[in-house]
Amino acid sequence: MKLVFYGPSLGGKTTALRWLYGKVEGLQKGEFTAIEDETNRTLFFDYVPMSAGGRVLFDVFTVAGQKRHRHQRKVVLQGTDGILFVADSSPDQRDENTESFEELKLFLGDALGREIPIVVMLNKRDLPNRMSRDEMLDLLGLGGNVPIYETIAVQGVGVKRAFQAIAREVILKRMYK
Amino acid sequence: MSDPKAFDKILTEIIRQDKGIKKVILVDKTGLTIANVSKLSYYPVDVDSIGAIASAVFCASEEQGKNLQIGELEIVTSEFSEGKIFASACGKGVLCVVSEAEVNIGLIRLVMKKQGVQLADELDKFLAVEPLSPKESELDEEDLKSALAELERV
Repeated sequence: MKLVFYGPSLGGKTTALRWLYGKVEGLQKGEFTAIEDETNRTLFFDYVPMSAGGRVLFDVFTVAGQKRHRHQRKVVLQGTDGILFVADSSPDQRDENTESFEELKLFLGDALGREIPIVVMLNKRDLPNRMSRDEMLDLLGLGGNVPIYETIAVQGVGVKRAFQAIAREVILKRMYK
Repeated sequence: MSDPKAFDKILTEIIRQDKGIKKVILVDKTGLTIANVSKLSYYPVDVDSIGAIASAVFCASEEQGKNLQIGELEIVTSEFSEGKIFASACGKGVLCVVSEAEVNIGLIRLVMKKQGVQLADELDKFLAVEPLSPKESELDEEDLKSALAELERV
């Protein structure tokens, strides 16, 4: 099952995945593969295979968030079973959040939220000038039917719960489809 | 009916064509490794990761070709100081060959093209019979329930 961390540049996708990789016990994990530049910014994707329950394998990817990597993101999204959208709580990133979410909707169409479950992480909640939760949900046009988690990826706050939520959604989707 | 061993058989035929070929991997376009063979059983690589990158690089190049309107992508060749990686289209999959630096490129291209047609046919049969990947196709409700329970314990 393929899970993809999606969202604007520097929003915390790779940080969240690295935290899961390094800190969460109980999941079996393979090698961490990162295609990044010399400043550690993702150029194409990060990838970690994770296993829950022995026989269920999650291929977990992040995308490169910078605008110029749009086509790479489209490639990484192929065959995805679930999306973790990482929104940036910084007010400076209002437009980037919206653009990224609109792009995701464009790429996945009606399947987003139906065949392909989505969980949203409102990241960087430790910023003093962060946008409010309601403001961010309005910004993204999200109603009450999408699971939302407030996270601080650098500290791992909320990251595990968000990952558990999307993994659970994807498994349930597979069980009851 | 698709025979899962058919993939191994074709990949083995490819690896036997040139002594410089070290590894042959078949991946689908979502990055999932379907089958692989190595010349040396102890060849130390993370196949899943190599497969995921090969598929992504190939699909990205395909996208590039689409944007530039220069037709269908046939083969991607990456040349390194101590080896080469070839990736070619085979229907719904990507065939990836890892070799030493000194190999007969023409022969490899020819073999990949020829066997790519066979692999494409096998993939079509395989996907027509079972829409899931080999690993996932074996999953039953108990596996999924066990994974859910495991997730709660994490």
